[in-house]
Amino acid sequence: MIPALGEFALWIALPISIWGCVLAFLGGRWNRGDLVLSAERSTYAITILFVIASIGIITAFMRDQFQYWYVYNYSSTNLHPFFKFAGLWAGQRGSLLFWGLNLSLFSSLAVWMNRSRNRDLMPYMNGVLLAFIGFFISISLFVTPPFEQLGFTPADGRGLNPQLQNYWMTIHPPTMYVGFTSFNVPFAFAISALMVGRLDARWIQATRKWILTSWFFLTLAIIFGMRWAYEELGWGGFWFWDPVENASLLPWLVATAFLHSVMIQESRGMLKVWNMGLVLLTFLMTIFATFLTRSGLIESVHSFAQNLTIAWIFLGCMGITGAVCLVLIVWRYPVLVSERQFESALSRESAFLLNNLVLLGAAFAVIWGTMFPLLTEGLTGSKVAVGPPFFNQVNIPIGLILLALMGIGPVIAWRKASARNLKKNFLLPVAVFVSTAAVLFSAGVRHPYALLTFSIGAFVLTIIVVEFWKGTRARARIERENAFTAFVHLVRRNRRRWGGYIVHVGVVVMFMGFAGSAFNREVRQSMVPGDSVAVDSPFGHEYVLTYQGLSTTLVPSMRQAIALFSVEKDGVPAGSITTQRQLNLAVSPPQPISEVGIRSTFVEDLYLILATVDDEVLLGSNEPEFQRATFQFQINPLVPWIWYGGLVIAAGALIGLWPGAGVPTRTSRLGSGSQRRDTSTPAPTPRSDAAATLG
Amino acid sequence: MRRDRRFFAGLVGVAAVVSYLIYTGISDTMVYYLTPAELLARVELSPETRDQGVKVSGMLVPGSYANSTDELLHTFVVEDPDDTSVRMAVEFRHPLPDTFDDSGEVEVEVVMQGRYRPDGVFEATEVLTKCGSRYEAMPEMPQQAGAGAGYGGLIG
Repeated sequence: MIPALGEFALWIALPISIWGCVLAFLGGRWNRGDLVLSAERSTYAITILFVIASIGIITAFMRDQFQYWYVYNYSSTNLHPFFKFAGLWAGQRGSLLFWGLNLSLFSSLAVWMNRSRNRDLMPYMNGVLLAFIGFFISISLFVTPPFEQLGFTPADGRGLNPQLQNYWMTIHPPTMYVGFTSFNVPFAFAISALMVGRLDARWIQATRKWILTSWFFLTLAIIFGMRWAYEELGWGGFWFWDPVENASLLPWLVATAFLHSVMIQESRGMLKVWNMGLVLLTFLMTIFATFLTRSGLIESVHSFAQNLTIAWIFLGCMGITGAVCLVLIVWRYPVLVSERQFESALSRESAFLLNNLVLLGAAFAVIWGTMFPLLTEGLTGSKVAVGPPFFNQVNIPIGLILLALMGIGPVIAWRKASARNLKKNFLLPVAVFVSTAAVLFSAGVRHPYALLTFSIGAFVLTIIVVEFWKGTRARARIERENAFTAFVHLVRRNRRRWGGYIVHVGVVVMFMGFAGSAFNREVRQSMVPGDSVAVDSPFGHEYVLTYQGLSTTLVPSMRQAIALFSVEKDGVPAGSITTQRQLNLAVSPPQPISEVGIRSTFVEDLYLILATVDDEVLLGSNEPEFQRATFQFQINPLVPWIWYGGLVIAAGALIGLWPGAGVPTRTSRLGSGSQRRDTSTPAPTPRSDAAATLG
Repeated sequence: MRRDRRFFAGLVGVAAVVSYLIYTGISDTMVYYLTPAELLARVELSPETRDQGVKVSGMLVPGSYANSTDELLHTFVVEDPDDTSVRMAVEFRHPLPDTFDDSGEVEVEVVMQGRYRPDGVFEATEVLTKCGSRYEAMPEMPQQAGAGAGYGGLIG
């Protein structure tokens, strides 16, 4: 009953979205407030209908209504309720509806937040959003219908792919969708600003938090995906440069470029076309990512169904949207001219611009590497493969340049850096850079990229710490506060600037975590109970693992072979670790899954894979003669730092996002001058005054 | 005008660096992606290509899989998707992907990276399996040559 209601809700939502979209544009064109209001109510109504449709799907999952094709293919009676709920986004059909749900929720939120603001932009902005909502409703009705029925009711479903039955995999897709769909709002604002011709700082103020929000979710989603790969795919890595992973990275790279270059527009009135282009490009990249993920045109680790219809629809959507964007930018080009010019190559503007170009260069390299096999096959007929070695070779140097710019950008002076400015800000960090490299080199680190990563990381951290220290000290002196209060107030006064620095700290930590993989250790061994293996970590620890034995258990729908090891670290007993090989019996034919064992410390992971067991074991035998198995032991140095870095990045982004002080959108109406709210922050030098305007 | 020139100089500079990285990256790391029949024909035609890394995609022959628990060594046979008379033995010394299944109940396509040895055995350093029929959303599973590939070996 409820699922039927859900499907009905979708059918009603379609005409409302078309109606609302037409009204919104007409209302904007004719300046008719009543039409505009009616269109905004359509957005609210569609959101409610999407909620009903989603509840319909969740109910069908919870009640095991296998007469629905989608439920039949992605669930079974013995599936944990948590994963039944997650069935809403487990497969293509549900996830496109879930996409629409998110999009309508964000649209409603944007419309509601701007109910008495930006009224000249709102009609078109709402119209653009409704057009995309209508697009997703149509897909859910005509192309990938989640409510399609089989015509009979099977006794049980086919079960959810066991690899997707993992906590990270459950939260990774919705986080990604939230990041993607929330970016629709800044895109709609940008299009609306172009159509109306109001290209001052206002549309940027209206969208800045939105962009930071979707950046926040995209970042989290990418990290969740890495975590899933690390825990579940069982090969000890966390990033494969797989097309789907690349697809998620593309909008992130472009959005990151925008978050930086927008500061130049706010402080200096430059790069207006560039910023507009970046917002539009980020959105196009989210569609491109969807196209890559869903089309199956390119081989991938976690690709959705190969569905060429969907692929063409998204490609067409991207083409049309791209063409509209291009026409609008060309039409409004005269209004988008810069107010100022670049004065020096040694300036913050140049550093930021370089950061932008390098980020876009990275995005281009990723697209190129991903599409190259497809292009080559299309043009020459010969099939080639471009894999992780390519992406690593290209992106590591680019990443190191970005890392260095992360230190240089925030402290180099605006307009033209003087020799004094350079000396004052860079003498200590460069000294730290050199000494870090020297210390690591004498400690035996010879890997050039790893050496560079750690040394540049130290350089950036020094700059950030000095910035925090200078700001805190100045505030403590002027406001007569103690250091801690001064620090808290400092961050609160200009959340975006200091939050941004914290994000940078997280990125540095994460890069060091990446660099740790240069020192991976790996041992493969066949063992019988009682055998021991010793693995040395690059940090000088020695792990001795003793194989205690293999036991098989039968839990509902799954047979598990669990190998138990006792661990000694540097001669001291350090508990035990298990690694499993499972046979999922709920699917036909039964599917084996490996569950890696991970023992994490602050600096390194001990990572254990049960590579092969005797077939008899998976058939349930506990006999001693079948206890021999092969294992792969890995020491993954600094991998935990990737996750710590991720937490720091999230914290920094949240500080930047937190509503309240340091957010100029409330009071200021237009013009870049209004951003100078932060002048109440103590400004010991003219340079930090300029830096404060970054807020 | 001065501004434009600076801007474009930066643009051209970065574009040149990125293009150089991409060009060298592609020419250093690109491998041919062949079927077993194409690989055998290529090696026969020009034996010097034998040592080049190559990516091969073939269908897993049901029942051909064997492993040894004495050492980590998997052996199996793949056949050409178009010409089933062409078969090739494969050796792999790393953990196999979970979706590797030679029971014959599902068709499994195996994508391997590695080298064709003079003794006629393909020595794989990386194995991916694709089996589309079991799930609509069956993910393909990469299996790495440990620290040497993938992001695990980001700067390895």
